[in-house]
Amino acid sequence: MKVALLSESPADEAVLHVLVDAILGAPAQITPAGFRARGWPNVLQVLPAVIRHLHFNTDVDTLVVTCDSDDSPVHTHAHEAPQYYHPHCRMCQLRAVFRQTSKRFPIAHGRLKVQRVVGVAVPALEAWLLCGRDNDVSEEAWINGQQTGRLPYTRAELKFRIYQTERPSLPHEIECALRETERHRRDLRRLEYDFPGFAALMKDLKSPPQH
Amino acid sequence: MLPLAEASAVTRDGGPEITIAFDAPHAGVTARLGCVSDVVCDLLRVESPSPAEWYEVKARLGTMRSYAFDHEAMAASALTTAGAGLASNGANLPAVLAARQRNAPAEFARLEAELVRLLPEFTGILLKEDYGGRVSLALRIGSSEAPVTADNLSQGVFYLLGILVLSFDPAPPAVVCIEEIDRGIHPRMLREVRDALYRLSYPVSFGETRAPVQVIATTHSPYMLDQFRDHPEEVVITQKLRHEARFERLSDRVDLPELLREGTLGDMWFSGVLGGVPEER
Repeated sequence: MKVALLSESPADEAVLHVLVDAILGAPAQITPAGFRARGWPNVLQVLPAVIRHLHFNTDVDTLVVTCDSDDSPVHTHAHEAPQYYHPHCRMCQLRAVFRQTSKRFPIAHGRLKVQRVVGVAVPALEAWLLCGRDNDVSEEAWINGQQTGRLPYTRAELKFRIYQTERPSLPHEIECALRETERHRRDLRRLEYDFPGFAALMKDLKSPPQH
Repeated sequence: MLPLAEASAVTRDGGPEITIAFDAPHAGVTARLGCVSDVVCDLLRVESPSPAEWYEVKARLGTMRSYAFDHEAMAASALTTAGAGLASNGANLPAVLAARQRNAPAEFARLEAELVRLLPEFTGILLKEDYGGRVSLALRIGSSEAPVTADNLSQGVFYLLGILVLSFDPAPPAVVCIEEIDRGIHPRMLREVRDALYRLSYPVSFGETRAPVQVIATTHSPYMLDQFRDHPEEVVITQKLRHEARFERLSDRVDLPELLREGTLGDMWFSGVLGGVPEER
C-alpha cells in the first residue's frame, strides 16, 4: 500500500510513520518528503491541493492526515450521525474537505479516489505520546476539562512532560517522540481506547480503499 | 561601543526612552537610552549599585556582535591569522572554522556533524591552507574525491554555516544580533535555524553548560514567525510610522489566542492585523 502523510512537523511525521506501520501490521510504502502544513488552519488550506495532486499525479493509495485539536471542540460520537457536521470540529472539517474535493473525481491511476485517513490528537500529539505512561492524560479527561472550565493540563505541560524542556531541538523531539511511540507500536489498544481521535484514524486505515 | 551623548547635550525633555534591565548577577543595574533631540537618541543614563558593577556590565556588552552575512565575502579565502571571531559580514569564515578545528576540535566536530545532519548531501568540511597564509573552505560531497569548493556553494549554505559557527561557539558574545535570519534558507528548515538560536539563548535545553546569549534577530518571513507560535513573548513587532518606530511585544496582544484560531502567526502578521507592515501611499 502506498501511503502519503500530511502533518504539521517532521516529528509528527516520524510518529505517524510508525503508527501507520503498526496499524497495517507491515511496513507501508510511505512516500518520501511528506506533505507539510503550517499548523491549523493551514492544514485545511493545503488539503484540497494535496488530495488533487495525489489523485491525478501519483498512484498513492492513501492519504493520512493528522492535526492537533488545540482548543477546538472534540469530535464525539454524536458527530458521527448521518449528515451531521460540526463547523468547528476539526475531524468534521477535514472529512468534509475530503468529501467535497474528491466527489467529482474521475477514475485516475486505477482508483476512484485516494483513501481518506484522518486523525485528530486531543489536544496535541504529545497526549498520544503520553498515553499509557501518564494515566491522567486521555481524550475523556480533556473533554471533562472543557466542560467544567478546568483543563487538566496545557499543551505546553504535555510537551514538557515528553521533552523535559519547553524548547526541544528537532532531533531531541523526534527521539523522544519515537521512544514513546515504541510502546504503542507493540500494542495499540490503549491508544485506541483512550483517544477516539486515534481510533478514527485506525478505522479509516483499516477500511478497504475504494477502487 | 558607540559614542554617547552627555546630559548637557539634551535639547528637549521627554520623548521616547528605552529602559534596559539586566539579569543576575547584574539585576541592580539599569540603563536608560533616551533622546537628546527629535532625531538623535544616544543619551545613556545608568543606575548602578557601584561604578565597578557598571564597568563589568559594560565590558560584557562590549562583546556584543552584530552580523549581516555576505555570501560572496564568506566564500573568499581568508588569512589564517584572522580566525579569532567571526567578522560582521562573515568574511573570515574559513579562518574561524580553521581556528575552531585547531583550538576546539570537539566543538568543531559537533558543528560539522550538525551541518551534515542539516545538509545530508555533504559529508564534511574541508579547510585548505595555501602557502600565502590563507585558508579556503570546501565541503565534501558523498564519497566523492572532489569537494564542492566555496565558489560553487549556494548562498543558503554560507548563511547556515555562519549561524552554526555562532551557535556552536564555545565562548560566544553576551549579545548576538543577526540580520534577516531566514535569508537563503528553505522555509522547512527554519525550525532548525530557530533551534540554532535557541542553542545560544537556552543552552541548558541543548545540553550546554555556558551562559545564555541574548539573541536579537530580524526577519521579514511569515514562515520564520510561525516558528514562535508557542513563544510569542520572544517576538517584537516593529512598526515604522514615518520617522518613528514602535515596538510591540507579541505576547502583549490580548487577542492573540483568538487570532491564532483564525490563521498562523505568519499569516496574521502578513495580513496587517499584528501591525508591522510598510506604509503605502
